[in-house]
Parts: sequence; C-alpha cells; structure tokens
Amino acid sequence: MQSNTTMYRLAGGLLTLITLITLCGCNSDSQSGTEKTTGEERPAFLQIGEFAINRISPDRTEVRDGAGRTLVLIPRKAPMPADCAPNQVVRVPVQRVVAYGDFDIATLRALGVQETLVGVTRSKEHWYVPEIKRGMEAGRIVYLGDASSIDFERLNQQQPELVLTWDPSIIPLLDDLHIATVVTTTPQAMCLTARMRFVQFLAPFFHKEKEADAFFARIDASLRDIRARTAGVAHQPKVMWGDVYEKRVMVEPGNAWVGELVGLAQSDYQFEDVFGTSCIEITVERFLYSGQDADIFFTYRTGSMGATSKAALAKLNPLIKDIGPLQRGRVYAPLPHYSQSGDKLDEILTEISAILHPEVYPDYQLHYFVELPDTDPIAAKEASHDRI
Amino acid sequence: MTRLLSIFWHKLGSINLTVALCLLLTADLVWGYFCLNRRTALFTPLNDMGLIAWMQTYGINNLLFTGWFFLLLTLLTLLSVNTFACTTSRVVQLLRAKGPGGGRRLALKLAPHIMHYGLIVILAGYLCSYLFTEVLTSSTLAPGTHLSLPGAGGQVSLLAFEPEYYQGQRLAFWKDEVISPKARLLLSDGASQREEMLSCNRPVRFQGYSFHLIDFAPKSLGGMKMKTRIDLNIRKDPGVGLYLAGMALFSLGLFFYVYDWIVYREAHK
Repeated sequence: MQSNTTMYRLAGGLLTLITLITLCGCNSDSQSGTEKTTGEERPAFLQIGEFAINRISPDRTEVRDGAGRTLVLIPRKAPMPADCAPNQVVRVPVQRVVAYGDFDIATLRALGVQETLVGVTRSKEHWYVPEIKRGMEAGRIVYLGDASSIDFERLNQQQPELVLTWDPSIIPLLDDLHIATVVTTTPQAMCLTARMRFVQFLAPFFHKEKEADAFFARIDASLRDIRARTAGVAHQPKVMWGDVYEKRVMVEPGNAWVGELVGLAQSDYQFEDVFGTSCIEITVERFLYSGQDADIFFTYRTGSMGATSKAALAKLNPLIKDIGPLQRGRVYAPLPHYSQSGDKLDEILTEISAILHPEVYPDYQLHYFVELPDTDPIAAKEASHDRI
Repeated sequence: MTRLLSIFWHKLGSINLTVALCLLLTADLVWGYFCLNRRTALFTPLNDMGLIAWMQTYGINNLLFTGWFFLLLTLLTLLSVNTFACTTSRVVQLLRAKGPGGGRRLALKLAPHIMHYGLIVILAGYLCSYLFTEVLTSSTLAPGTHLSLPGAGGQVSLLAFEPEYYQGQRLAFWKDEVISPKARLLLSDGASQREEMLSCNRPVRFQGYSFHLIDFAPKSLGGMKMKTRIDLNIRKDPGVGLYLAGMALFSLGLFFYVYDWIVYREAHK
C-alpha cells in the first residue's frame, strides 16, 4: 500500500514536471521572436524551414544553408575568424552575386539588391524581368552557361563574392576559387512559412533585414486576406499540382508551400499525405487515383511545353485524359514569367486563392496562370474545317 | 545522516520508480512521435551541431515541439541513476553473500547486472557523442577534388563514384536507379596513401575521423543530368569507444545469462 502511494507521488511529481515544461514551452515559443535581441529588435536565432540564422554578435552571424553547411557572416573589414575554415566565411554586405535559381533572383529583387547580380544561368531571351534584360544588354550581368555546364572561367572573371545555387557539386571548385557558396534549395520542399521567410534568410548577406521584414509583412497580410475571404466558402475544391512526363510522374508534396496554401484557402490538396522534396516522384497509379475526383489541376508545363489546352495535355499524356479536371474541371498552366515572379509572392498567393474560389474574387484577372481551354483554338478550327 | 542517505539510496533504486519512469518514458515518446512528424528539420541539426548548441537554438526556441526531447533526457538520466542505484545495491548484496558455487557461480548471478551497467555505459556514450562530437557538415567532393582534415594534415580525394544501378525486371520504376552508391576515396597523410570504398552503410575511418555518405548525385542513369558529387559528414566522435565498450559489456552479461540458463541450470536440474 505504502509503495503504491510512493509510486503515485513519483508519477504525480513527474507529470507536474511535464506540465510545467509544456507550459514553459508554449510561453517561450511565443516570445522567441522578440526576447533575444542583439541591439536591434531582431531574434538572435531564426529558423526558416531547413535554413537558420544565428546572430552570435553584431559582428558575427552564422547561417545554415539548405545543404546543412554553416557559413559565417562577418563585416567586410573584420579580421578573418580563426575558428572556421576560410571557405565558410562571407564578408557582408555582399556586393557581387551569381545566382542559379529564379526564386533566388526574385528574392534579391524583393530585397532591392538586384544590382549586385553579376551572373545568371539563363540566356537573355529566357528572361522576363526588365532589370535583368537591361543588365545583360549592358554587360553587367553575364550568362554563365546552362546550370549543368557552367563556364567557370567566365564566372571567375565576374568576381562574384557569393554564388547562390541549387547544385552542391560546384562547391569544391568554387572553394578553390575562394568564392563562397550558399545552397538555396533543401532536401524537403519549402513549406509556406519558409517560402515567405526565405527573404529573411538572404537578408543578412546584404544588411537588408528591414526590407526583408517589410516583404514578409506584405506576404503575411495577403495570407490573412486569403484566410478571411475564404473562411466561409461552401465548396472545397479538390486540387492537384504536378504532371506526368514520359517516364516519371512528379507532383508537389503536401508539405510544399502550394499544398499548405491550398489547405489554408479552404480547399483539399489531393497529395496532402505525400511528404518530401519539391517536385517529388510518385507512381502513375497514385496520380490517376487522386485525379479521379479532383476539380482543379495545376500543371508544371507552360504553353511552350505543350500545355495549350486540355486536349493538348491529353494528347501528350493519354494516361491522364480521364482525370476529373480534364473531363469536367479546370486546368491551369503557369505563364512563362510565373517562375521569375517570386518577388510578387503576395500576388501569386492571391491568384491561386482566386483560382480555387472564384466566387469570392469576382472579376479577378489572372496574371501568372492561364486556364486551359478544352481544345486549342487552331485545332478546333481545323477539326470544324475537316467536318465541313 | 547515514540513515537518511541510505533511505534516499533505496528510494533512488526503487522498482516503483523504474515502473513509473518506464511509463513516463512511453508517454513522452508518444508525445515525441507527434512532435517529430513532418518536423525533421527541427531535429536534423542535432546530429551535427551538438546537444548544447542545439538546445540553445532550435531546442529553446521551439519548446512546444522539442519539450518532449528535454523531458526524454531528464527521464533517461533518472532511469540511468535508478538503474545504477538498483543494480549496485543488488551487486553489493551478491558480493556480500557467500553462496555455493564459488566465483563462477557469482559471475553468472551477476549477468543481469552486467547488462544493466552495459546499458548505462551505452547511454553515457550517446550523451558523450551528442556533447563532444566534432562534425564537418556536408563536405562535398566531386571527382578529382579533395578536402583537408583540420589539424590532422590528412587529405581525402574522390577518385571515382561507382554506383550500382537496378537492372532487374520486377520493379520497373527502379530501373536504372542507383541502389548502392559507392565512392572510391584516396586517403593520404603525407607519408602514405590508401584507397577505401565508401557507401551508405560503410563509413570510412581515417586519422580519428569517420566519413559518412549522406547524399550523392546522380541518382539514376536517366532523368535530369546532375554532375557527379558526394556529400559527406565527417565526424570525430569520442563517444564511439564508450558505447562500443557498453555494447561489449552488455554482450558479456548476455553471454553469462544465456550460459547460466542453458548450461548451468540444465546441468544442475
């Protein structure tokens, strides 16, 4: 009897401990954004998906990039720290950048530091951003070759201080050239918060934290608007985002920002249970199963890649011709400038929400996506001509 | 005072405490299961930045999702202390009692307690790993490139990436995918050189460091053309020796225990 009482006391004590820790947890979590500061009102530690910023002192910030590498940011004239390898050190504010990804470049624009860009991996005719086109015409921004075959000699001539890339295989070579590299993609897809806050990850490289905060606040406001507008909608459309290629089926997983956005905008994402990297491969059976009762399909393909109509998509992939969106629903393809418009993330989020719930966005004009017609106007014209 | 200490010692080694701790550990791990789900990004850095740095950053800033881990550490510490007190009390009793059978019989009777001590050493080894491991995160090597080990003067080069691709017929979607990535490394310390094959479950050891393959490219013969590379986690882990010693101790106890049951007790039926 006495031993039972002792046991109950012990268990009770430990449960109290759990409760206290949990309560402390809730409290600390809500305060973590403002409590620890380094002079400016800014968190000492900020986690952004798989990225992180740790402000050690006013003269030293450590960041963790998408590949889990730690980089040390120090002022331009500060002495080289002794406790880290030279290839880990980035002198800030960075003045010359080479960037691989469209989203990285859009983020530079969001921070207002697009003039630091000196090299890209897309030729001039593939750009829809006027500043970049102009920069390339003036010779300030150089096309370094396709991402899979970079001209490193030309890259070195551009004297970048930082390369933003999704390809870690270039790191050893850039280390030899004493150029710092940041991997800006992550093994898991970026969630909605990470997508919105990525600007805050790049901000310390350019001393543009205020601009990053303003950008985030803008996106956050648009998200709150989406939540408010779609709160009372009666119908929750079923959405799928991906495509079937010759040998592979790729979709956005449920943990990706688009999956989260669809859920937040009172809609059902058909790949909610799929978890992993962005543009993840699934089986064709799963794609078709999810497509049976889907209402809306966002394809990765642009018009130039064949997404001109539902009939054209069905012709490209006869397997998907019977999925719900192609039969009775709606199909949307990104416009060519969509992938380069990450600095307009608020508009993109709003547009996706307007596509999901046109009833709460009357007279909305699409800017980043196009709804595919049932048939191509030319093909339809030819078909009617044949009938005649 | 001695009596108080004795009471405290007995309470510390109480089986009731063991049961309560095991129940709480179960509940805590259930909590942990829900916290870990889709939040691996929060815990992955624990593998390379060390426990203290992780606690001060990711841990403390996300207590709602990491609280279970702090509690797990507390409960495991209590369980270790409880196991030590309980085991030591029993061992002292066994050593004092002069039963029949001599030293051999005593060793067999100590078998479960040796396993308990082994478990404590294993847990201490893991704690040591998380506290003191030196990690060079995501060092990338492309064919022909090398990296230098800090302080040791050694160099590691990637000679070739020689993966095995799936060539079977049964799993069509695996066709031409890498099923066993293998990288041939050249390890040189200035005076001598040697080649080693690194793969996912076969780390390479050199100059006190262990090399672990964490990612690689390309992952298939077809698809998007990716340049060849391997990403390594390079670790100097002082805990390895400790938990290998713990495992050896546990195995010894297990051997005595099995011997006691199969050989000794059968023979003395």
